[in-house]
Amino acid sequence: MLKSDRFLAYALILPVVAAVVAFVVGPTYNVATLSLTQVVMGMERGFGTLGNFKALAADPVFGLVLKNTAIWILGGTFLCVTVGLAVGTYLAIDSRMTGWLRALILLPWVLPDVVTAMAWKWMLHGQVGIIGQTLQSSGMTEGTVSFLGDPDLVMWVLVVVLIWRKMPLVALILCAAIRAVPDDQMEAARMDGANAVERFRFVTLPNIAFSLTAVTVISMIWITAEFALPWIMTGGGPANASQIMATYIYQQSFEFFNWGVASAMSVINLVMLASIVALYLYVNRRSWASEGQK
Amino acid sequence: MSKSISRRRFLGTTAAVGAATFLPGTPAFAASGEISVWKFGGTPQEVETWAQRNDAFTEANPDIDLNYSYFNGQIRRQKILAGFQTNRLADVIIAFGQDIPEFAGFGMIQPLDDIAGDKLAGWKERIVPEVYESGMHDGKLYALPTYVDMASFLAINLDALEEAGFDRPPETWDELREYAKAMTKPDRPGIAFPATTAPVDINIFEGLAYANGGRIFDEETGKVTLNDPGVVDALQFYVDLIKDGSTPAATSLTETFFRDTAQLFGQGRSAMWIGLSWLNTPWGVNEDVRWTGVPMPKPEAPSGSYEPVSAIMDGTAMLMVSSRSKNPEAAAEYVDFWSQDAQLEVWGGQPEIARIPAGKAAWDNAELKEAWPNWVKAYEADTLFKGGAPMPRFIGVSAIESALGTAIQQAVLGQKTPQEALDEATTAAQGQIDLIRG
Repeated sequence: MLKSDRFLAYALILPVVAAVVAFVVGPTYNVATLSLTQVVMGMERGFGTLGNFKALAADPVFGLVLKNTAIWILGGTFLCVTVGLAVGTYLAIDSRMTGWLRALILLPWVLPDVVTAMAWKWMLHGQVGIIGQTLQSSGMTEGTVSFLGDPDLVMWVLVVVLIWRKMPLVALILCAAIRAVPDDQMEAARMDGANAVERFRFVTLPNIAFSLTAVTVISMIWITAEFALPWIMTGGGPANASQIMATYIYQQSFEFFNWGVASAMSVINLVMLASIVALYLYVNRRSWASEGQK
Repeated sequence: MSKSISRRRFLGTTAAVGAATFLPGTPAFAASGEISVWKFGGTPQEVETWAQRNDAFTEANPDIDLNYSYFNGQIRRQKILAGFQTNRLADVIIAFGQDIPEFAGFGMIQPLDDIAGDKLAGWKERIVPEVYESGMHDGKLYALPTYVDMASFLAINLDALEEAGFDRPPETWDELREYAKAMTKPDRPGIAFPATTAPVDINIFEGLAYANGGRIFDEETGKVTLNDPGVVDALQFYVDLIKDGSTPAATSLTETFFRDTAQLFGQGRSAMWIGLSWLNTPWGVNEDVRWTGVPMPKPEAPSGSYEPVSAIMDGTAMLMVSSRSKNPEAAAEYVDFWSQDAQLEVWGGQPEIARIPAGKAAWDNAELKEAWPNWVKAYEADTLFKGGAPMPRFIGVSAIESALGTAIQQAVLGQKTPQEALDEATTAAQGQIDLIRG
């Protein structure tokens, strides 16, 4: 590479690097610093302390928050991708019906978060919700069910709403990947006597491995960052049964004005997410490698 | 005898006389320039009227360029904090009384005494003293109240009341349990109360607890007192209503906040509901629902360690001036504008009837008398505010109220007894408070 080419290359990536430093590295550094500082209402009370992390360890709610966050992120991502893969596989089939569905399925995705949350909140309401009333009138339940008021149900109900909202794009991305699987490979597998499940397992999956990994990582990040849906629908209740990292960070920051603790939680959240993503990428590296050798 | 006047003396005297003559009318001393105003929360009627009255302010003060913005009440803390941190806080903030100690304690707002000392006498003259007090903190006025809300009150469906054979509203907690049981039908609970973690839902419960001699925090000792018998027994009262079978399912109470509870009552889906003083006025009721609002029945024998109160109150449209205001004169002028009878009468039924007005003149309005005859009677008899206290307000109040909200839900759902839930909440809140207060 010529020296002038190298300068040009650096110049071309400079805006992106500057943006990343300004909007990712800067705030991350700021949060990491804040997590080691006692900050209340914007007033510093000493840097270089692990007090915020110790306060979290002593907080009885924090354990529940971690458990709920695991359900939210891991359960949400797993179900979102699994359902998305199933729906994407169906949508990949050429028919008039799937042609329409490919367009319609994006509806939940384009609705604003607040509208989605409010609509679901009312549909799931114990006294006036249409879902509970339908279940009751069809004899499936004795009375109406308060989906968002029952601490045993609420977290999973939120995950279901989350999947309804996030899955369509996952399905469409995977649908596109499945449709890009070479026909000759499918045909060869069919001629070799592979049934539908075997063709999916040994031909389709390896071919879409890269898209599947990418969509899983992206879903995990989307779900971790999702705040409006759980906050509007439950506010973290009842009795903290749906309190997750995103809502608890918000509460600590803007209700209690306790920025130090909120930052400490953000750091823990970041480390957890980075670890999960790194592990996932490490496990999946082989499938990409095999894809690259084709 | 003649007295000679020196040139210096002549000039000095002339200058002094000139200054005395012209200064009061000198335009340079009239407020002018730009001010920004952030208003948070309010009923739809109030929000609309506030914006209209701002036009009158602009007309009366052509030299002041008013930049007014309205925001949802629930985002006020983050909006104000972010504004403070970035040095972009509005000159005038219209927020909640419960915010005052925190905002004042952290230097976000300044005492009005310092910037509008000459106006205080007029404000005191026009505003009901007990309500005026709600803007005070550490002996200084930090916020001008325009109205207050009181906790707790009871909305009663009059048809349900008569159907159950009662000719007067309940007056004690025991009576209320009896009434609620009698007014319960298979498709309509006798009573509902909101038990989400929304601040208003917690304020409603605090009204009961404070009436029972409970408190949530002891400012003198710095100790959280959520497990005081007054609070525990108030929570037990909630639990008893559920055990009596007089309420919707417990799980539904924890998902239905005050506005939804009001709407369900307005649709005839519950015979009574416990709320703040406005009850159903902001949203109305179905045409076939006849209803009335009364003060919440009181405990027979208050069990708390503190003086029982008749009600707790707080204003949610209190005018505060930012400590970083670049134009405190114009900000004070704006606050003064809202202290005038013409503005304060907005809450005297012209057109808003949901709030307890701060202005003395508003109490003479026929519309208010028609909407709330009992309030006006009590005000005239000097008993409306008697025994009342401000809603909890101190640095760290949100942390304690949040822990209380969780405890209420745990007890309502039967996960813990009120005592267990509040013991845990006390420990958790004390940790938060110690952290916040350093």
